[in-house]
Amino acid sequence: MNNIMIGRFVPGSSWVHRLDPRTKMIVTFVFIFVMLFASSWGTYALSAVFVVLAIRLTQQPFKLYWDGLKPIFWLILFTVVLQLFLTPGTPVVLHVGPLQVTWPGILNAIYVMIRFTLIILMSTIMTLSTPPTSIANALESLLAPLNKIHVPVAELALMLSIALRFVPLLMDETQKIMNAQKSRGMSFSTGGPIKRARAIVPLLIPLFVGALQRALDLANAMEIRGFKDAASRTKYRILLYGRQDVVAFIGTLIFVLIFIGIKISGV
Amino acid sequence: MTKAITINNLTYQYDDQDLFDGFNLSVEAGEWVALVGHNGSGKSTLAKLIVGLIVANGGDIDVFGERLTVDSVNDIRAQIGMVFQNPDNQFVGATVADDVAFGLENIELPSDEMPQRIDEALHTVGMENFKEREPHTLSGGQKQRVALASVLALGPKIIILDEATAMLDPEGRATIMTTLQNLKAQFGAELTLITITHDMDEAALADRIVVINDGRLILDGSPDVVFSKSQTMHDNGLELPFAGELTARLTVKPEKYLDERELIHWLSPSNK
Repeated sequence: MNNIMIGRFVPGSSWVHRLDPRTKMIVTFVFIFVMLFASSWGTYALSAVFVVLAIRLTQQPFKLYWDGLKPIFWLILFTVVLQLFLTPGTPVVLHVGPLQVTWPGILNAIYVMIRFTLIILMSTIMTLSTPPTSIANALESLLAPLNKIHVPVAELALMLSIALRFVPLLMDETQKIMNAQKSRGMSFSTGGPIKRARAIVPLLIPLFVGALQRALDLANAMEIRGFKDAASRTKYRILLYGRQDVVAFIGTLIFVLIFIGIKISGV
Repeated sequence: MTKAITINNLTYQYDDQDLFDGFNLSVEAGEWVALVGHNGSGKSTLAKLIVGLIVANGGDIDVFGERLTVDSVNDIRAQIGMVFQNPDNQFVGATVADDVAFGLENIELPSDEMPQRIDEALHTVGMENFKEREPHTLSGGQKQRVALASVLALGPKIIILDEATAMLDPEGRATIMTTLQNLKAQFGAELTLITITHDMDEAALADRIVVINDGRLILDGSPDVVFSKSQTMHDNGLELPFAGELTARLTVKPEKYLDERELIHWLSPSNK
């Protein structure tokens, strides 16, 4: 379970780590948005340079990011294959039964692969350099305007951070229940898919019962410590934009401007 | 002396059975009371009734003279801190500092006053060097000390520990006990402690032990008085600490209750 890199935080003190979580979130969203308009080698090359630069600034080895890509390899492959066979156009390069591979299809498949990879890498940079609670705080701060239309942003952010806090605990518990059942002869890794799926049921039931018990205990503990509602609380961690956030925003702006320039000139 | 808690004629039904039927108890301000009884004796239920997590069917509970009602429950909770049994299920924050901050955020303390309050509370329980640690990197005893700090930061007059050491290893248990003794030394009459336990060594540290069984008060007195009633203790499913068992079998007994080390010294003064 420890090889899941998506959303994992790696502690550090790099330039990217020290950025305000809101900055990282905004830059990531801007980047993903801009990527939707990438359509030529020039724009892809520029985006790749931007991502590589950001990765270097996190001071983490490339291998970590490579591990982050692995779980979604099949998803990327699936979309690539779809693009490869289902893009109409000429010239046709290859006939495979009723399907055909066209030259625009090949080009599209490569583009999609690059786009996917870059977007995943960019989001990995954010989650890898930001503790989960900071992400929850950033969301609360960025979504604050939604309070006006009565979206309970503070409640949602608190729920998110409590849920994140219980992830390692529930992982441990899953492992314990699995071990307890394995020691009594249960196997989770043999048999066909149906047999394996059925083996999950006796695992889920104690896990759910345990989680509910924890939730009740936690509710008591929160109530005793004066919790009334999430909206009227003061904040211990206050988010502040600093000089380096300005630098990050300017860097992103320059990237977007060059991107538009390339896009217009049609390279 | 002022009364911290007065319970008068309390009744509470659970699953259509009377758990408490006309229960009375009062605790003086500044006292350290150990509430003991075997599993299902009603001791944890009593704690939940006092802080209003569950509602009694009848009778009154007064905390520092204020009657517990639907309207006063928040005021009363503000004066009582509670540490529960499971260290993991009461850790709200993502780090030690965030967890202590949780209660402060609830009482709407200004942000700039929080760091000092957090540092003070963590210092009191000896966890000041673990501020930025995440809960899964702490031992059970350390988590419970953080839970205690979270409660202390709110400045309660009463702290109730509901089996807070039951899930800890002996070492963790010992650190909690030392922390409680330090607290008592530091706050004195300002702090009323109620420890709910079935560990008699733990109960022996209190000023007063209250034994309950099936919602009835069985024994009430100082540790030496309670531990001298070994037969009553056994009848109610409780073991005496080793020193108590031994004392009960002695023909010539020491004047007051002695713990293991003191008893060894009393039996053989040359043995240090």
